[in-house]
Amino acid sequence: MVKITVNGVQHTVQAPADTPLLYVLRNNLQLTGPQFGCGLAQCGACSVLLDGKEVRSCVTPLSTVGNQEITTLEGLPARWAKLKGLSADDARTVLHPVQQAWIAEQTPLCGFCQNGMMIVATQLLENNPNPTDLQIKAAFTTSGPSPHLCRCGSYTAIMDAVKHAASLMGKGQ
Amino acid sequence: MATTTSNTTSICGATLSRRQFVKTGGALVVGVTLVGSKLLAANPVAGAPFKNTLDPTLPNSWIEIHPDSTVLIRTGKSDFGQGTTFTAYRQIVADELGVPFEAITTVIAGDTDRTPDGSGAFDFLGRGTPNIRKAAAYTYQALLDLASERLGVPKDQLTGNDGVVSGGGKTISYGDLVKDQQLKLTIPVRGDLTSIFGLTVDGNPPMKPVSEYKFIGKSMPNSIIVSKVTAKEVWATDVRLPGMLHGRAVHPKTLGSTLISAGQLDKKQFPNSQVVVKGNLVGVVAPTEWEAIQASQQLAATTKWSDWKGLPGSAKLHDYLRKESDWTSAPVQKSHESKGDVSPALASAHKKLSATYQFSYMKHAPIGPTMALADVQSDGTVHIHTHNQNPQALRGEIATMLGTTPDHVIVHTHPGAGHYGRSNGGNAGAEDEAVILSQAVGKPVRVQWMRAEDLQWSTQSSAAIADVEIALDENGKISAYQVDHYMPAMQDDRPIGAVLAGLPTMPAPEVVSKSVTSTVNGLSDPWLYQQIPNVAELGHGTFQVGQKTSPLAVGLRDHSMRTPGQFQQNYPRELAISEAAALAGVDALQFRLDHAKEERAIAVLKAVRDASGWDARPSPRPDAKSTGASPVRGRGVSLMFRSGTYWACVCQIAVTPSTGAIVVEKYAIAVDPGIVVNPAQLKRQVEGGAVMGISHALYEEAMFDESGITSRDWNTYPIAKMTDTPEIKVVLINNPKVGAYGGGSEAANALAAPAIAAALHDATGKVLRRLPLKRAYVQALLKA
Repeated sequence: MVKITVNGVQHTVQAPADTPLLYVLRNNLQLTGPQFGCGLAQCGACSVLLDGKEVRSCVTPLSTVGNQEITTLEGLPARWAKLKGLSADDARTVLHPVQQAWIAEQTPLCGFCQNGMMIVATQLLENNPNPTDLQIKAAFTTSGPSPHLCRCGSYTAIMDAVKHAASLMGKGQ
Repeated sequence: MATTTSNTTSICGATLSRRQFVKTGGALVVGVTLVGSKLLAANPVAGAPFKNTLDPTLPNSWIEIHPDSTVLIRTGKSDFGQGTTFTAYRQIVADELGVPFEAITTVIAGDTDRTPDGSGAFDFLGRGTPNIRKAAAYTYQALLDLASERLGVPKDQLTGNDGVVSGGGKTISYGDLVKDQQLKLTIPVRGDLTSIFGLTVDGNPPMKPVSEYKFIGKSMPNSIIVSKVTAKEVWATDVRLPGMLHGRAVHPKTLGSTLISAGQLDKKQFPNSQVVVKGNLVGVVAPTEWEAIQASQQLAATTKWSDWKGLPGSAKLHDYLRKESDWTSAPVQKSHESKGDVSPALASAHKKLSATYQFSYMKHAPIGPTMALADVQSDGTVHIHTHNQNPQALRGEIATMLGTTPDHVIVHTHPGAGHYGRSNGGNAGAEDEAVILSQAVGKPVRVQWMRAEDLQWSTQSSAAIADVEIALDENGKISAYQVDHYMPAMQDDRPIGAVLAGLPTMPAPEVVSKSVTSTVNGLSDPWLYQQIPNVAELGHGTFQVGQKTSPLAVGLRDHSMRTPGQFQQNYPRELAISEAAALAGVDALQFRLDHAKEERAIAVLKAVRDASGWDARPSPRPDAKSTGASPVRGRGVSLMFRSGTYWACVCQIAVTPSTGAIVVEKYAIAVDPGIVVNPAQLKRQVEGGAVMGISHALYEEAMFDESGITSRDWNTYPIAKMTDTPEIKVVLINNPKVGAYGGGSEAANALAAPAIAAALHDATGKVLRRLPLKRAYVQALLKA
């Protein structure tokens, strides 16, 4: 039995300690935002935030999570609400600006990789509110264990959406 | 509900039947009637061809209009990221039917028991839209007939707009027209539901003129994006059934290995895992995914296979195709555009280009490996949950495998990772294995392929070679163009698990085939240089590499992938045309304009010329350089016609000769699909296709040794990253006078390769006629 905190909620999980976090999130907790892409930390489809830093849940053993706060795609609205000090009612209806921007820019094509893309975008914009094109490219390509891969080639749409999200966050929306 | 009256009316070849209800409710629903279908030949008045299929003589098939004026549409086409079913299909139906876009509240797509027409998610707009569009057009006519009767106004004075029929000073809403009645419109349809092309709606109902379009041409948002972005979508990967087990297959050691002995599991370590062996298919099921993964690793380590070395290896591939493959069994194909006599023109050429172009195997490489959840129930009913381009075809394949009829198989489709054509003939890899494992253990089983399996056991886009000869006359114009295309069979739809298990499947590709799995290599790149007087385009086909010698009859299985076959033929043509321009000492874009004839081809070339800031001059550039550590720059152009759409692209690159690294800095593309249905969605599709094209051009080659594919992850099968994305300029040319909707997803992925290869020549003066333009290959070329 392992205790983990995901999206602000503590869970007790019945799973071997070496189970990759991805399978715990998807199969034990029904948090299916993160997807299985490679199981090798080579694509980013499974990304989550661990204390605000992007990790690949497919190679993160359950036992290494400890007290660190996990945020999945499902938890992005609450993360934004907390950051902005929104009321409980608002927190239920709001979307994270990154999600709003991904919709406004019609970013996903098949969309399978976009969980990881939105997780990286969130980390990037929390640390750099107005990234340049080069900084965006670096965040999605060289900052983590591997580039974040999109087979449909939606990188232009992702860059548009990151800039759109930066603008929304700048306005506090 | 009791009915009071009933009657039927003939409408443009469709039949409208009515029953009026005593109680409230009612709907106009559009069904289908099969015309000349083999399926119904024995029983021409029968209903649905299969149980669990929408009954073509019963109402709930294509379109429903409800009493509140909302509309539901159904299509057999699954969305693969194009968004077409959620955007263009709704726009087209809204315009044909005369309802607001928002009135179409529900789109049901893909599921074999809930959609009418089958076929694959390819050519959504060209081959796909006529069905739903005609269904809507028949329905519109029926609504006018109903209104004419109800309002007492002649039909020709009535029009339907915004969900209301008006004319003769009277109006009635669509909802009121259908209220309290059960209306059934039966429309003519032909074809075979579980074939690759499914059913086609027949007849020619009147269509709305372009001038009356309200929604076609507008950038309506894709409704599924919200649920995907907010983690509310139920992806195929997310579906769970009660009592479900996790399964993994242990695939053979090589593409020709047979099983010697299945391995054992340590029961202490894996107390709940169960090994399944059927023929050469070895699998394991377990209650948890992590146990299934670990058990499959132990099982793989202890399972013994025979050895096999029947492949040439990627380094010798093109030599093998040239010298070892049998190009004589399949009849040589000749394009319809072939004309004149190339031989005398080639013999008397002022200048001549003779070149061979080589195309490597590429993988579909979905970002999520294939997976499926199957539930083979005790009464023989099979449910499959998966992400599939052609669920009706999968249904047929699973029925064949199990020796049953498609009645018993229901395929439920869900969103998933795009796989670019891999399942357009029915399967992507995991579906049949999930069925076999579920049948063996009597429980629902979810099979998820791992990354290595998805690269090593899936099909691939076929390799090819092409020999081109171009004759230039004294004026520097092309007097003859001859090409011989060589490509192994490009479509093998046999489910791999069924093949391994020794269960029935369709035959391996052969010369004469009832389906598209023939070894015959047809010409699939429409000719665009009509001013060339002598043209000979020939296609030579053969069996897949290893197919005949593998004890499993497997080898390197091929499958259509975005722009299938045409990519293999357009790349050599377009690079050769650029080379011929260089030989003539003239500008490559102007050279194309000088040989093209079709107005739309010329227009896209001019549009991309202007958008890219093209400076007319011959290639290579005057200061071309093939040495040094500083980047040299060049540009190239390419042209294509596919699925009703004209495309041209210009790539501007920087290449560093010492490393061989190519960076595409600017990419401009012009697209004329006829009517642009949804500009914003089309732009996103084109941008994505452009990046995939750069990926194909620079990186993608499925590596293999004598036994099988050795690419096993994203390091050994690299694809484009965000840093490979150039500044992309998309020019959309709306061309309403064409009166048709051309495709917008495929083709973009094929345009980059010949343009980048021409740009490399422009920059360095050297031509690399082999794809991909990998660093090592470019470096070797420039050093030579």
